[in-house]
Amino acid sequence: MSTNLELPMFTNNSEAELGGRWGMVIDKDLCTGCQACVAACSMENNVPFVGEEDAGYGRSMQWIRIERLWEGLDGDYREVKMTDYQPLMCQQCHNAPCEPVCPVYASVHSMSEDLNLQVYNRCVGTRYCANNCPYQARVFNWRDYADYRETNTADNDPRWSVFQNQLNPDVTVRRRGVMEKCTFCIQRIHQAENQAKAEGREVRDGEFTTACAQACPANAIVFGRIDDPESMVSLAAETSRGSRLHEELRTMPRVTYLAGGA
Amino acid sequence: MSQQFSRRDFLKLAGLGAATTAVLTGCGPSSRYVKREPYQQMPEYNAIGQSTYYATTCRECAAGCGLILRTFQGRALKVEGNANHPLNLGKTCARGQATLQGLYNPDRVTDPVKRASRGSDSTQPMDWDTAVQTVADALTNYKPNEIAFLMGTAPDHLFDLVTDLANAAGMNAPIRFGALSMFEARATLSKAAESLFGQAGMPSFDLGGADVVVSFGANFLETWLSPVSYTREYARMRRGNPKQRGYFIQFESRMSQTASKADEWIPLRPGTEGLVALALGRLVAEAKGGSLPRAFSGVDPAEVAAAADVSLETLEHVAHMIVSAHTPIAVPGGSALGQSNGQTVAEAVLALNALVENVGKSGGVFLSPLSPNQDAYHQPASAKEMQDFVNQMASGKFKVLFIHGVNPVFELPKSIDFKGALSGVEQVISFATFPDETALEADYVFPDHQGLESWGYQRVVTGTSQQVISGAQPVVTPYFNTRATADVLIAAAQLAGGKFAATLPFKDEVEFLNSKVSALMGEADGSFTAPDPVTFMAYFQQYGGWWNKSDVRVSAGNSNPLNRNIAGIEADFVGSGEYFFLPFVSPSLAETGANKPTLQELPDPTTTVMWNTWIEMNPETAKELGIENDDVVKVVSDTGEVEASVYLYPAIRPDVIAMPFGQGHTAYGQFAAGRGVNPSDLLGAHFNEAGDLAFAGTKVTIQKTGKKRQLSRKEGLIGVYEFRPE
Repeated sequence: MSTNLELPMFTNNSEAELGGRWGMVIDKDLCTGCQACVAACSMENNVPFVGEEDAGYGRSMQWIRIERLWEGLDGDYREVKMTDYQPLMCQQCHNAPCEPVCPVYASVHSMSEDLNLQVYNRCVGTRYCANNCPYQARVFNWRDYADYRETNTADNDPRWSVFQNQLNPDVTVRRRGVMEKCTFCIQRIHQAENQAKAEGREVRDGEFTTACAQACPANAIVFGRIDDPESMVSLAAETSRGSRLHEELRTMPRVTYLAGGA
Repeated sequence: MSQQFSRRDFLKLAGLGAATTAVLTGCGPSSRYVKREPYQQMPEYNAIGQSTYYATTCRECAAGCGLILRTFQGRALKVEGNANHPLNLGKTCARGQATLQGLYNPDRVTDPVKRASRGSDSTQPMDWDTAVQTVADALTNYKPNEIAFLMGTAPDHLFDLVTDLANAAGMNAPIRFGALSMFEARATLSKAAESLFGQAGMPSFDLGGADVVVSFGANFLETWLSPVSYTREYARMRRGNPKQRGYFIQFESRMSQTASKADEWIPLRPGTEGLVALALGRLVAEAKGGSLPRAFSGVDPAEVAAAADVSLETLEHVAHMIVSAHTPIAVPGGSALGQSNGQTVAEAVLALNALVENVGKSGGVFLSPLSPNQDAYHQPASAKEMQDFVNQMASGKFKVLFIHGVNPVFELPKSIDFKGALSGVEQVISFATFPDETALEADYVFPDHQGLESWGYQRVVTGTSQQVISGAQPVVTPYFNTRATADVLIAAAQLAGGKFAATLPFKDEVEFLNSKVSALMGEADGSFTAPDPVTFMAYFQQYGGWWNKSDVRVSAGNSNPLNRNIAGIEADFVGSGEYFFLPFVSPSLAETGANKPTLQELPDPTTTVMWNTWIEMNPETAKELGIENDDVVKVVSDTGEVEASVYLYPAIRPDVIAMPFGQGHTAYGQFAAGRGVNPSDLLGAHFNEAGDLAFAGTKVTIQKTGKKRQLSRKEGLIGVYEFRPE
């Protein structure tokens, strides 16, 4: 399929911009669906739990979900197959559909990092961005989930506050009415960049990684600079197994998925 | 620049202050902990916003993965894997990540307490001096052989301490147990290896070096033995060799998370795993030519195919895959071993490995090496041994029972009546960190620190070919008024005097650890050396443990393991029901996860259900019975019944009903209590030849209740069942 990027709304100026900066490769052949990335992400990014009822409504706040689908449901049970697990988080699109629909510029593009940002204190909760995201990667704070009393309103026991000892001070705790999503662990990106700047050098490949990639026991997630052809993530993406989700929408996602199977 | 060194410079120079390096904590009793400070009084090394990292060991299961804890101003913020640790190489599972919610949890036991009466919520807080005196009295007021210790699965420093105490004073040897070891059927694996190879030891499977993996129910990507290291090895098998992708076949009656990653999932009739392994052995041996080994001579593949409800072509195809592979491996585990013929199954599968000559070779089967300071290697107790223990409790043989790190009232089947047997014990003292079901039945609860607040070490029993003693140190100050059980026992032993005091002549737990760990100093091929014990101990904590630099692989002793008969029998099933009952350990909750809300909200990998128990049923079966998704049904066995919502699971045999283990707590904190049901209520006290519980050897009936209760799922149902467009 030929990709015409000369759309009036989304004009790219330079090759460098098209190349992106940070990217991720997820090998679906290796992903075992173990949810270690989901737990690691929640612990790093102060992602709260919402309780059984709200989780059933589809309101759980996790920034990654692991999709799996069935094949062969119409035949004999022996022929039923599960598709490869597919961890799905914000794809950090270059042409992000979530950005132009935000009336208050809460969903904006970082030109320096080529990432989609969510500015929590601008967000007024219209949820247009989530509506427009083809990957359903955004989650909304329907309640004050981060105040853990909210999940059990009858209980005003002060012991509740013990959970808050664990909150990561590098990441904002979000309140009710605010949209959020995966940030590619931007706090870790910034920390590594600051460190490198102080030492007068570039950030080295593999110097840091996102919480999900760090935890993954199968090493199915690789994160790094996609504008560096020698980086682990660029090398991993260079395979015939690679593809991006919804490429036909020309969102230019920064996550490459490697197909499973032989 | 000033010539003066500040403490921060010193740490920098010592290479300890930078991120991702462990900073040592002091070893003296008063400086044992880094203090948790208010934000306006930061310790100097935190003043510039740097985090401090500590190496320790994960206590969420008995595998013993190495962790690096990120702490900031005395608070533990994030679990990361210890990249140097040979077992997990910097990786963690979801349960390891959530261990912080066990540390910072509103439901912990905060103080030592005396219970008003067993089973009652009402408790009287005590001070620690009285608590230590209570333990000392318990040691002295009873005869040594009336005192028993029950501990968790992990062979850790506390187990060594109690073993020393028990040996010196003539008390009963401590028993170790855990739900995971019960569902892993550890004793079965180890006994089968001993019977086949003539050598005791836990088999470990080098999946990473294999190009064809044939697994018989082993759930090695979920909770089995050492899931993080096996997941890494799985990845290496798949993509480690750029020229050839490893091939994976799983025989299992239900598509588990592990089976969902297989290239071929071959559902077979429960109980026929051993027969299938023998039939495969025969087909492989015939294809290879030469004389047929005795082990496989008594089996007819066509009959086996019929018994297992698998086509003969499928078996021939699998045999062909094995024959044409360079390094095939067969792995026994999970429900295949938890049946009346479990040991035979394990032997048949290990024999398959012997047939393809991969024992002791790369890509094959090894016996795990024993650790150097592990003189009396001790398996966790099998369910049969637990029943013997329970019988002794009931008969009044034990007057005092100390329980640490295990929750048998919840984990053991109701038919092995642990709770009832406690009435035969005069004094029950629990060291639980959480008010679990067993702590609720104890007269006293003297809470231990949570794992991240504790000192210790733990032996790594399987999952790596190196000998590993994984080190643990507190990463934060204890949050509540808890005390290390080792400290309590040492103090009580001093008060008790006599042999007790002579066995544990230590000031505290740290001194005891020093005495044990410094014994490793003389070992050759260690991961580090040090000139003196103090430095050695410091390195031990900084690196997160001690291990061999090179692999210490133990290959099998018996040169001709196939020259024997393996009785190819089908498993027996107990119960009059028409459905095979298959309990499996919930991959995200396992034995200790139910009190952690983040784990409760992790979708189950295969069903995506959160926060509750479900019953897996084939849609065909459900249709016959008139059952729909989310209908509450009653599962009835000979020994019990439970009610839960149905999840129509397409990848399960129509004659099998499966349920996850991990929920169904009646205590254990607000996130666990009153949620879901416990499938071990349905299990009878039936064992296999090795004494492990035949947990997959039950038959059940299904009764409709007419109720409906929606399960919280991550998946949408559109296009799956109800809303499929015609």
